[in-house]
Amino acid sequence: MPFAVARKILIIDDEDDIREVAALSLESVAGWEVIKASSGAQGLARAEEYQPDAILLDVMMPGMDGPTTFLELRKNQATAGIPVLLLTAKVQGTDQRRFADLGVEAVLFKPFDPLTLSTQIAAALGWS
Amino acid sequence: MKTTGQSGSRTDAALSQAMDGLWMRFLPEIKARVTVLEAAIKAVSEGKLTGKQREAAQAAAHKLAGVLGTFGLTRGTVLARELELTFARESSPGSGAGAKLAEIAAELRTMVERRKPSA
Repeated sequence: MPFAVARKILIIDDEDDIREVAALSLESVAGWEVIKASSGAQGLARAEEYQPDAILLDVMMPGMDGPTTFLELRKNQATAGIPVLLLTAKVQGTDQRRFADLGVEAVLFKPFDPLTLSTQIAAALGWS
Repeated sequence: MKTTGQSGSRTDAALSQAMDGLWMRFLPEIKARVTVLEAAIKAVSEGKLTGKQREAAQAAAHKLAGVLGTFGLTRGTVLARELELTFARESSPGSGAGAKLAEIAAELRTMVERRKPSA
C-alpha cells in the first residue's frame, strides 16, 4: 500500500461507471476504504453516518447537484469539517472559477487516471 | 503513481484487469450513450432536432467525455467533448453540420466497439 495511513473516502456520483472506476482505483492503488453514494441526498446521509476523511463529489447530478450538496454538507455541523473535492468533466473557465469560489479543497477533472487519482487527492489534501 | 518495481507492476496489472472487467460491465451503457448521440445527429441532418433531444445528446456527450479517457480512450473524450459543446448551444446546429457530426459519432462508435483490453 503506497500510503502510510489508511483513509476512508466517500464518493458521491450518479454515474455508475465513474463511481465504480474511482472506487476501484482508490481501493486497489491506495488501499483506502471507499463508501459510495449515487445521489446528493444519499451522500449527505452517508457522510454523517460514516464520517469519511474526505469526499469526492461529482458536480453534475440530477436533483441535488454537487455544489448544492457541498453547501448542505457545510450547513450540517456533523459534516461541515470534512474536506470536499469536486469531480467534474466541465472544462469551461467560468465553471472552474465558480467551483473554486465555493470553498472546496480542490477541483479534480474527468477523465482521471485511475493509477494516479489517489495521489491527486492526497496531494490536494496534504496527505503523505 | 506511487507504486514502483515489481509490486507496482503487479498493482498496475491487477488494476488494468479490473478496469477491463468494469469496461465490459458498463459497455452497454456506454454504447447506449453513443446511440443517443447518433439519433440526435440524424435529427440534426433532417432538421428535426427537438429541445429534449438536444439536452439528452448534451448529457450523453458529457458523460462520455468524462468516462472514455478514464478507460484509456483519450481521443474519445476529445470527440465527446466536441459534441457536448455543439449540443450545449441554445440554438440547434444547422442541418449542414449533420455530416461532420455524423463522422464524429461514427469514430466514437468504432472506438468504443474496438477498445482492446487495457487500452
